[in-house]
Amino acid sequence: MALLKRLIDWIDVRIGARELAQKQLGDYLLPRNINVWYSMGSILLFIFVLQVVTGILLLIYYVPDADKAFKSVTYIMNDVPFGWLIRMCHAVGSNMMVLVLLLHMFSVLFMGSYKGPRELNWVTGFILLTLVQGISLTGYLLPWSQLSFWATTVATNSANAIPVIGPHLVEFLRGGKLVGPPTLGRFFALHVAVIPLTIAALVGLHLFLLERIGVSTPPFGLKETKNPWQGKGFEYEGHPGGIPFFPNYALQDLTSISIYLACFLGVVFFDPYLFFPKDAFLPANPFVTPAHIKPEWYFLANYQTLKIFPNELIGLTVQGAAMTFLALLPFIDRGPEKHPLKRPVFMACTIGGILLWIGLTVWGHYS
Amino acid sequence: MRYAKHVTNSLLLVFSLMLPIAVFAAEQPEIVCIQCHSTMPGKIGEPVKLWRGSIHAENGIACNACHGGDPADAANAMSPARGFLGAPKEKAIPDFCGRCHVGVRADYLASAHGQALGMGGPTCVTCHGNHQVLKASLELINEKSCSRCHSFERARVIKSAMQETEAMIVAIDARIKAYKAKGTDTDKMEKGLFAVRNRFHTLFHNVDVELVKKESMQIQAELKKIEAVLQGLDDSQHTRKIAGAVAVAGALLAALFLHLFRKTYE
Repeated sequence: MALLKRLIDWIDVRIGARELAQKQLGDYLLPRNINVWYSMGSILLFIFVLQVVTGILLLIYYVPDADKAFKSVTYIMNDVPFGWLIRMCHAVGSNMMVLVLLLHMFSVLFMGSYKGPRELNWVTGFILLTLVQGISLTGYLLPWSQLSFWATTVATNSANAIPVIGPHLVEFLRGGKLVGPPTLGRFFALHVAVIPLTIAALVGLHLFLLERIGVSTPPFGLKETKNPWQGKGFEYEGHPGGIPFFPNYALQDLTSISIYLACFLGVVFFDPYLFFPKDAFLPANPFVTPAHIKPEWYFLANYQTLKIFPNELIGLTVQGAAMTFLALLPFIDRGPEKHPLKRPVFMACTIGGILLWIGLTVWGHYS
Repeated sequence: MRYAKHVTNSLLLVFSLMLPIAVFAAEQPEIVCIQCHSTMPGKIGEPVKLWRGSIHAENGIACNACHGGDPADAANAMSPARGFLGAPKEKAIPDFCGRCHVGVRADYLASAHGQALGMGGPTCVTCHGNHQVLKASLELINEKSCSRCHSFERARVIKSAMQETEAMIVAIDARIKAYKAKGTDTDKMEKGLFAVRNRFHTLFHNVDVELVKKESMQIQAELKKIEAVLQGLDDSQHTRKIAGAVAVAGALLAALFLHLFRKTYE
């Protein structure tokens, strides 16, 4: 302990570490009515770190070559000590990340935390959602299984519906006319380098904005629930008399992360195959088309939307319009009220939208 | 001309792979044999109906695989110049089927059944059926079928000697498939079971009761080795679940402790 104290002292006298920690952690005050939903961001950070760590461990044995990829994953699952655990944590973690990200976005929606001056927080968060979906999609191909191969074939084929550039876009994504070894190379580079670095950069920007603008006050348990920001100039939203981030809310974050970890480990140890259809463990075969190819659960609504409309272009346009609307929501919903019960139209639209998404997902699963 | 056909076929292949959804929906076009015979009445049309319920149809083995001919050209489908063989005479049936089932042909010819070929003994189709070819299994040895030629007593003893082994093979096969569906490397076990099953199938045409019993014992010993590997996997899964329960409980306890710790700061 004495050695640790001496080390901290050594650093402190050089960079003022204690003062910085006190300012950023102990003196960083949060609203007194802050709730558990505010810890979703910390859970997401924890998942991202876990994905990076397990991803690096998988990289030691994974071979991004169409002839060797499936065998290398089988080797990881069967011969590498705890390889099965690392792979399951990575695969289950990617699904959990999307789930927690959606919960985080729903809480932001319901508490009106996306309203000015936090438009950029929302937009960066929305881009992070699409990037997480992108990293999941690219990771899906890497085991080079029947599921990987055909799900990627169907997913990339959707871009064909875009007029003029569609076929070129498909060829660009695949690195050829068909899904094949060049597609694996491209998706591998995107999955392990381009997208994770972009996510890390955007998480940094997201946190910088949070730090710079301040934590939004939840609209619950207050008389005045309107957005205090008038848009007249930059104003840090401080919370005098609030609760300190450290140790109070840091302990809440750790509690939430522990509960998440219990759920996550429950899935990993007791039913990791929840996210693995049987085609996930057969090697890719371009000449044998499986009977039912479905995307992962969070793409099922998109998949079903494409099937509902008479042609894929209309389906893609509707999805594009819905995504654009959601991305630009803070610029469309400019009302000052934040309490969900005082925004009946918003509540009806949001709950309707969520039910529609769940309905399409269930329909897509059983269709 | 051949080059043009090759290019056309390649383009069709590329096109079909680029449209997987369309491929899922479309059915395989039927060969000309089925197109014509399925519309014909009586004895000429009957084989198509029978074939549809056969193990051959299940595995994609169509008319031309046995009878030869050109399944893509209606005009020359039954031309000897295109390899059409027609239906074999009774004595030629084992050779006809034995073109694919090489080992089974040898086993059959060495058996009492095979040695009675042409002298009133059964051929392949007597037990397995022609067109509605049945999958080789112990179910084919039954009183109704065997009693057509002789008493069932001896066959009953042979069948009961083989039943236990058959049940073991079926159960092990199911367990291997279940592990394969979980990403377990079952390659070695599958190959082992394949070899044992083939060895077991050679007994299907044998009518020497003592030999069947002796061989069945040896086959069961081999199967028990595969079972031991599967038991090892079962134990490993069990250990993982215990470790998982400890990990989940640990995380929940940590959550409770942190929650109570936080309360002390309020």
